[in-house]
Amino acid sequence: MLELDGLVRHFDGVRAVDDVSFSVERGKVLGFIGHNGAGKTTTMRILATLDTPQRGDARIGGYSVVDAPEQVRRITGFMPDYAGVYANTTVTEYLDFFARAHDLRGETRRRAVDTIIEFMGIGELRDRDVESLSKGLKQRVALGRAIVHDPEVLILDEPAANLDPRARIEFRTLIRELAGDGKTILLSSHILTELAEMCDAVAVIERGRILATGTVQEILRGVRQRRVLSVRLAAADERIERFLLEQPGVVNVHDVGGRLQFEFDGGDAEQVALIGRLIAAGFPVLEFSAHKAGLEDLFIEITEGPAQ
Amino acid sequence: MSAALLRWLDDASDRLSAIAVKEVRQVVRSREFTYAFFASLVAALAIAFFGAADALTGSGTSGTWTFVALMVCLTLLGLTVVPLGAFNALRTERMEQTFDLITITALSPRRVVIGKLTAQVVKLVTFFAAVAPFMAMSFLLGGIDFVTILISLGVLFILSMWTSAAFLFLSTLAKSRATSGLVFGAAGFLVIFVLFLSRIPMLVFGRGGMGAMSFGTSRAATWWALAIMASGCVMTLINLVLLAENRLAVPTVNRVTPLRIGFLGQFLLIAGWVLSYLGEPPRVQEDAIGALGVIGGLHLGLVALFAVTEDLVLPRRALLEMQRPGPRGWLLALFRPGGGRGAAWVLAQMALLVAAGAIFQPDGSTLRWLVAICAYVCFFTGIPAYFYRRIRPRGTATLKLRVAALLMLPIALILPDILYYVMGKSEVFDLGFGRRHLINPFRTLANWPFVESSGWSVVPFLLGLAGLVAYLGLIQLGARTTAEDMAIAAEAPPIADGEPGSADALY
Repeated sequence: MLELDGLVRHFDGVRAVDDVSFSVERGKVLGFIGHNGAGKTTTMRILATLDTPQRGDARIGGYSVVDAPEQVRRITGFMPDYAGVYANTTVTEYLDFFARAHDLRGETRRRAVDTIIEFMGIGELRDRDVESLSKGLKQRVALGRAIVHDPEVLILDEPAANLDPRARIEFRTLIRELAGDGKTILLSSHILTELAEMCDAVAVIERGRILATGTVQEILRGVRQRRVLSVRLAAADERIERFLLEQPGVVNVHDVGGRLQFEFDGGDAEQVALIGRLIAAGFPVLEFSAHKAGLEDLFIEITEGPAQ
Repeated sequence: MSAALLRWLDDASDRLSAIAVKEVRQVVRSREFTYAFFASLVAALAIAFFGAADALTGSGTSGTWTFVALMVCLTLLGLTVVPLGAFNALRTERMEQTFDLITITALSPRRVVIGKLTAQVVKLVTFFAAVAPFMAMSFLLGGIDFVTILISLGVLFILSMWTSAAFLFLSTLAKSRATSGLVFGAAGFLVIFVLFLSRIPMLVFGRGGMGAMSFGTSRAATWWALAIMASGCVMTLINLVLLAENRLAVPTVNRVTPLRIGFLGQFLLIAGWVLSYLGEPPRVQEDAIGALGVIGGLHLGLVALFAVTEDLVLPRRALLEMQRPGPRGWLLALFRPGGGRGAAWVLAQMALLVAAGAIFQPDGSTLRWLVAICAYVCFFTGIPAYFYRRIRPRGTATLKLRVAALLMLPIALILPDILYYVMGKSEVFDLGFGRRHLINPFRTLANWPFVESSGWSVVPFLLGLAGLVAYLGLIQLGARTTAEDMAIAAEAPPIADGEPGSADALY
């Protein structure tokens, strides 16, 4: 549904986007992560047809963002990292304007606005001045604006930025509902834990280049050569550290809050054998677990700069 | 109001521009409009009160001055509040980045600009409506006829729309707040200038001060003068809208063709005005050719500055668009981008200028004067563009080339005198026209009979020849560059007509 093929965009010698390629399947949510200035917004602006690449192309629903931007706009909704509201305009008028701007007419337009107001749960705000709304409510209205023409693809740049926890949860629910409706979503966020809950896959960008794409576990499998395992004993035993280091494939053993964490170079069969040897050696194993890596681990692992 | 009527009105509003509907909704709630509206009402009421009081004293001129005072109020609103509102509407949209949100809808830049202008029309008509009863009263008080009231309102309406279009264009020039502030200041200055300018035609017509080309005092002549003014305003207004559209459009589209058609229209209008004097006495015809040379020459200079300095490399989308054969392809050939067509388009207008002048069958000197105008335009715009393009045909240097061409002009104006006094160590201070000033187009063209009688006319023609060679070189370079790019674009994987992703699916 969304294909980026070798996008390049330079600004005064700075490579903002440098040969960026990835794709998103219909109905999937892809998280786009990277530091500030990594090239996320530039990539998203190209996809939204607000900027043009110097090289490469991107296709949304089969339409090129360079050659057929009008068609792309018809099937794409874009929500930038600012609300973009008007003074002296009510919520209904705001949505009505964008429905008109997307060439929706008469009953179709009125129905589209009513549907969005109902879906976003902002019925009681219909006649409120959009500029007077709180940040969270403005974001809701902005998302409503982005989907008023029922696009197939949604591009959301930092949609949950500056929202309070409650608004974030509500926003997350809306995104999942949209994905459930079959919309393809590309969204960037600094809040990695939140992205992990919303996204089916991620693309990591740094200095304009894509470092990795796929699910968090897929990427980590590619990046990490070893599994990170941990073991906790029912009673402390000084011999275990030495024992582990003597086992084939075990390195980097260290104590993390009463449990021993170590890296293990081996597959499932080797891991089963290791557990067997631990028990056979008489260690009172209370817990044995594989460390479940999250998006933050992935981000730290594959990028060089500080995490946001 | 019943729900059915509201629904009908809502449906009817679909026929209007979405931007206009939004802007009008915003305007009616804005404080600026409310203050301006009520201030105009209070002022009109006060004027009407004094007018009525004056009429009661038996003065026969109360209607005239009531009308003049009301027109002053309307002029202030029409030439300040409305155009500044237009400027601010687009400026805010760009500063607050809401323009980006509009860009990604189905609204084209042209629809946006026209929508903004339509909103100003609504605003102006509302002001007119507020003052209309008092205007009617001035008519009833006597001293002013109905036709004068209508013409005055019509002229003010056109001038206000023209100024609004100019301000919309100005607001597209600035991207940052700082430059926008500067442009806003310049725009304010322009308002004062326009206010002053709006008096000039009235003074000119009032005194019959158009030389031999005077429109005279007959009713037909007055209508003709008004028709020329109105057509000029409308044509330039269209071009201002096209210029604003050009500034707002994304760089991947063909932004050249509408402008070229618009400015050719403007040139043909100038030629048409002048040719309307064909049957007049010889003295009037001479003045007409003079006007053609001055107005047409300025027009040519301006369009050449922009057309000849265009980059030779075209966006892929524009190339693909040109590759598609169309029913009117041959007709639009000269108006399309790339291929050195900009220089060819300017040369075509130069040929039209000389041809229009030749229709009057003037003496050889006058005709050569028209050719010399074209020669200077060719030289000052063609030479810097050609030399740069020879070195870097694919360079992006539109702005630099325009600045270079503009800088060449003041250098040509002052350098001859500087060299004459500094290098020649002349002790006699002489500002009179001499051979050294032949590089200065303004002085040479202003002293053309003297230039010819002194046998110096060969210099402008040699400069023109150099400029013409530069133009032809640009056409050749442009044609080569576009042909190369088209070949590359044609090598792209073929996609069936109308298929998603096909550039052809656009049309």
